[in-house]
Amino acid sequence: MAGQRVLISGMGGELGSRVASLLEEASWVGELTGIDADPPRRRLRRATFQRVPPAQHDRIVDTIREFDPHVLVHVATWEPDARAGTGTAKVLTDDAAMSVLGAAAECRALQHIVVRSGIEIYGRARGSLTRPDEDTPVNPTSEYGRMLAGIEATACTTGERVGVPVTRLRFAPVLGPHVPSPLGRVLRQPVVPFSLLADPPFTVVHDHDAAIAIAAAAAHRVDAPVNIVAPGSISTFQAIRRGNRIPIPLIGPEWPLFKRMSWLAGVPIPDHVEELFHRGRLADDSRAKALLGVAPETETVAVIDLLHAWESVIRIPARRAVA
Amino acid sequence: MMSAIVLPFRRTSPDATPVDVEDDTTAVPRPARTAAGVHVDGWGRDDAFVDRISAVARLRWDVAVGGAERLPARAGALVVVNARLFSLAPVFSALALGEHTGRPVRFVGRPDTAPVGALMRRLGGLLEHPDEVANALAAKEIVVMGTGRELHPQRVGRVDHRLIAAAVQERVRVHPAAALSSPMSRSARVEVGTEVNTGRSRRGPLAELELADAVRRRILQLMEELSGWRSAPLLDWLPQTGMGGD
Repeated sequence: MAGQRVLISGMGGELGSRVASLLEEASWVGELTGIDADPPRRRLRRATFQRVPPAQHDRIVDTIREFDPHVLVHVATWEPDARAGTGTAKVLTDDAAMSVLGAAAECRALQHIVVRSGIEIYGRARGSLTRPDEDTPVNPTSEYGRMLAGIEATACTTGERVGVPVTRLRFAPVLGPHVPSPLGRVLRQPVVPFSLLADPPFTVVHDHDAAIAIAAAAAHRVDAPVNIVAPGSISTFQAIRRGNRIPIPLIGPEWPLFKRMSWLAGVPIPDHVEELFHRGRLADDSRAKALLGVAPETETVAVIDLLHAWESVIRIPARRAVA
Repeated sequence: MMSAIVLPFRRTSPDATPVDVEDDTTAVPRPARTAAGVHVDGWGRDDAFVDRISAVARLRWDVAVGGAERLPARAGALVVVNARLFSLAPVFSALALGEHTGRPVRFVGRPDTAPVGALMRRLGGLLEHPDEVANALAAKEIVVMGTGRELHPQRVGRVDHRLIAAAVQERVRVHPAAALSSPMSRSARVEVGTEVNTGRSRRGPLAELELADAVRRRILQLMEELSGWRSAPLLDWLPQTGMGGD
């Protein structure tokens, strides 16, 4: 298996960059390249990078076909209100998925596809399971969940046509010091709302653990979905209190007003995050260790503590007289 | 006058050695703080909340537990308990068994609406859904489910074979349990019987149907041994009650 060509779509993001740096160390990886709209956020020694916007289908197809990867790692997913609004995120994600997966299907050397998905895909409809496992039917109830379901469907169709395994990694909300996350942004505000009547539990995953899981999935040819969530859970109220934030109890009708105020303050709350605050978000991760050989180690509570401990960006005027 | 562009990042100190991105300590997180103050487990059960509710429940019920040692120490198990109307038998049975076994014990039958569903989830409640029960049993949890509710204290309602199927699927033990309480007294009792086994090997869904029927019969038997609602812990030492004889 040595000397494999690996292509990472979405290498410019924090998660993609971390995956690239882990795959650089892997002995089975021969050539490593990545494409994204933005350059990588980490120093990469072996990997090459092509800066291509997701809308430029032709360039993406040419780049991927020229590289002819054995393994495609598709991380190019735009979470709504992380880096782009919901509408833009939907278009970018769809563009990237269609171009990258479509181009990969034309590559003769392709042996394996890994796609980034999320546990939002299970949805939180009334009566849905507390801890869905990978066998639970997909029933997304948020825009992000539907986007992820679309990516998985495209990847599975591609995999079936080409005859290669497709690993769908369903992550809990990914949090990290440099990961743009609407959930992390809301929880770091000085005043944070929570559902007084529900206060449901949720789980997250640290971006380093997520990157390890992706790198492991690239090495293991698993043709199945795998949940990747941190051990344990935490309720929204407890997450707020652990950061010494001020919890604002909301009952229901005032949520739309709070969402608008939060949006004006630069902290939009997309529907999948609102759903988490109302209905919680847990998932069963017992298969990860068996299928990939790795499982997240950082507990949910520890990730939330780290989230509150990470340094804030301090805005300094662009120009200052020094002499 | 010279100008310099200052990047909008926080600076540590003027003399500090620049930290390479690869050496970033946040890359491999090692939390220094413990999870004090957080009691919610992976299913949403809150240990601290359970302790508080158990303390309050002790004011109303004085629950004696028998046969808890029959439950596995680490593996999953499904406990089927008789349920009367308005008795909350699965809830107080789960709390009592949890205290005696030292393991979190979950019960089936929480609604999925706030605030009642949220409160019951904090107590260890699960949805009445076969997949939910199967997931919990696969995660090596002890789960208490109630039979169909009956008004008469000496009758046992129907046992939902779909939930029993979850135990069959996950190959975990199924234990019958008799829960007796009286609206007139504080005394209540939960008696866990030995594992039910039909003794027949079935390949199809008949396995769970037969197991459900067998569990129902064993619960009736346990209740007869407990002498119905008149039983109290003080009388349990008498040989004619047949306690512990199953």
